Amino acid sequence: MKKIGDFFEALVVVVIIIALVHTFLEDFAVLAGWTVPARRWLIWAGLAIDLIFTVEFFTRLYFAIVRGRAFDYFFRERGWIDFIASIPLLLFSSLPSVLALLAGAGLVNGMGSFLNVLKVIKAVRIARILRLLRVVKLFRSIRYARSMLAQRHIATITTIGVTVLVAWVLVANFLGGLGILPGLDRPFLVSQADHARYLGEKGAGGAMVQGQARVLAAFDSTLLVARPAGGQTSWTRYDDAYYANHFLPGDYEYFTVNGVESFFDGRPLAQAAAREGVVFFVAILLSVLAYILLYSPRFALDITDPVHVMKRGMEESGYNLEVKIPDRRATEDVFELAGLYNRIFLPMKDRESAGQEQASALGIDDIRSFVEKQ
Amino acid sequence: MMKMDAPGDAITRLVSRMFEAPALRRLTALQKEEQALQFFKQNGAQLQPVLASVGIGGAGRDTVAQLVREARSLADAMLEREISRAADECLQYIFVPALGTSRVPPAASREEIKQLCRRSATHPVARMALAGSLSAVLSDITDKYIPHIWERRKYTFMEVARVQRLTLKAEECADLLRLTLLVRPAAYLHVVADARQGPEAGYAPVQEATLDRALPGLRSQMAGTPPDAVRMGVRAALSFPGTPGLEAVSRLTAIFALRGRSLAPAMVVDRGADSPDKSWFNVARRNATWRGLDPRMLDELYSIAAENGW
Repeated sequence: MKKIGDFFEALVVVVIIIALVHTFLEDFAVLAGWTVPARRWLIWAGLAIDLIFTVEFFTRLYFAIVRGRAFDYFFRERGWIDFIASIPLLLFSSLPSVLALLAGAGLVNGMGSFLNVLKVIKAVRIARILRLLRVVKLFRSIRYARSMLAQRHIATITTIGVTVLVAWVLVANFLGGLGILPGLDRPFLVSQADHARYLGEKGAGGAMVQGQARVLAAFDSTLLVARPAGGQTSWTRYDDAYYANHFLPGDYEYFTVNGVESFFDGRPLAQAAAREGVVFFVAILLSVLAYILLYSPRFALDITDPVHVMKRGMEESGYNLEVKIPDRRATEDVFELAGLYNRIFLPMKDRESAGQEQASALGIDDIRSFVEKQ
Repeated sequence: MMKMDAPGDAITRLVSRMFEAPALRRLTALQKEEQALQFFKQNGAQLQPVLASVGIGGAGRDTVAQLVREARSLADAMLEREISRAADECLQYIFVPALGTSRVPPAASREEIKQLCRRSATHPVARMALAGSLSAVLSDITDKYIPHIWERRKYTFMEVARVQRLTLKAEECADLLRLTLLVRPAAYLHVVADARQGPEAGYAPVQEATLDRALPGLRSQMAGTPPDAVRMGVRAALSFPGTPGLEAVSRLTAIFALRGRSLAPAMVVDRGADSPDKSWFNVARRNATWRGLDPRMLDELYSIAAENGW
């Protein structure tokens, strides 16, 4: 049973790493101009990953409930991260993206169901940031320090750091969407909205729309399609095949004004969002690495190492090494305690243990191994 | 699994393996023996089923007694080599002129030292004392610390050069200390083992009167060794604060002998722990009076260990 559990844990670590690479690649693909088929593959992969994490969350929750530890799992063992990094992402990110793909979102001309999905896709971009929380999930699998205290402490501080960062980015994006905290994309969107109003100001007649679109297309290169709502396309910049090969659901900006639907090229915005995504991803990875590589040795040096030395000194009769106390830190709590250990406990132990049998450096397990080797 | 062969062979092999275990490999014969005996004493009950599973022993106490005998016998064989190494390779007798003694033939003195060590090894308390002395002599502890003491020219140097009036170079003093370390266990040859003292018996200060009785006999047995060196060696078993005029070399010898007892070459130091020597000298200087050691010498040795990261 333990072997199955270990295998499961190892598998989850592998999937987390794949998920992180996938999260990075989704944004990188936009910036690097990967082909639409390649980006489609990433969308499908995203669904598979989110499904796996959803199954993982329910499995862990199930076993926690069976053992009567559901509360502990969810709140104390960071089950809430398992939850946030699985179900909401599946429902609000990968599943809508896949649905949009299935609805033929690449083919602008000719589908109606796409429009509603497209609106969801816009909201979903925010949710993708939650994927970065998986970095924290990965962290709990790293056994870098021998002390449980160090592991728990570093995991907690990393969780807080990453969660606060992700939460703030989420809020900032949400506020940006509401126009309370406008971003650089604001003028771009305002301009497209103005142009959409221009397209609709003379009504939804096919000829009128076509005329307005022709005029507009001359100075707005992002206008792609104009048509009366639910009607035939009045004007399009490219044919269906081009849209299918160069656009994904998230690449459009969509407006309806006075019964006139207009589609604009949203790829510059998608690129800006991808650039932000890469920046956040790298920032979070760097902060986690900093916790692991810079902070955890510091924590070990200041807390767990002195505690470990004192623990050994108290447990093992033959262990009499003092705690190393840096001069500048002697007044800190742990080193004050270590000072007492050095000055009072060890000399007392030396006197107390004189005349008593010391524990041997050998253990019964050593003998078992010798016997088995013979 | 162990093959079913003669129990004696199996016990010999087992004890040999124990002596070569990573935790004991680098220790001297008597240190290994002490560890093994402690292990047998503390784990006798658990040991029996493990050994019985491979056909060693039957009546538990007999098996443990056999193991103890085998450990002593193996330690004796190793000890003989260590005594020879200490006397033949570690002693150079370059200190002799500084003691104002007429030139002594080193070969004869070496033989006397070996005999003395062998004799000490047969006495329960002196054997314990020999463990620390041999460990210190076979290590580089004297060569490490004496040059620093000489360079600093502080308390310990002044005690040797000005108070004891010995004009020695650092390497000569280190050589003299190696000899006094090997002589020191002889101070316990007339001490009756006290179970309450346990393994500490070989490091507890002895009465001056006890030494007065033993010293004439020792001098006659060690005619080829400078008498002052023999005297300093056995007086290293005296308590410092309680013995007026105790020679500086004897005080240093007592410190190094006690340090030798817990010397563990190539010891892995935990991250966050201080170095072994610094830790040991710091504890020892706080317990100096209780141990009968010179606290100011320990202070100086502690400083040297701290400065050099030992």
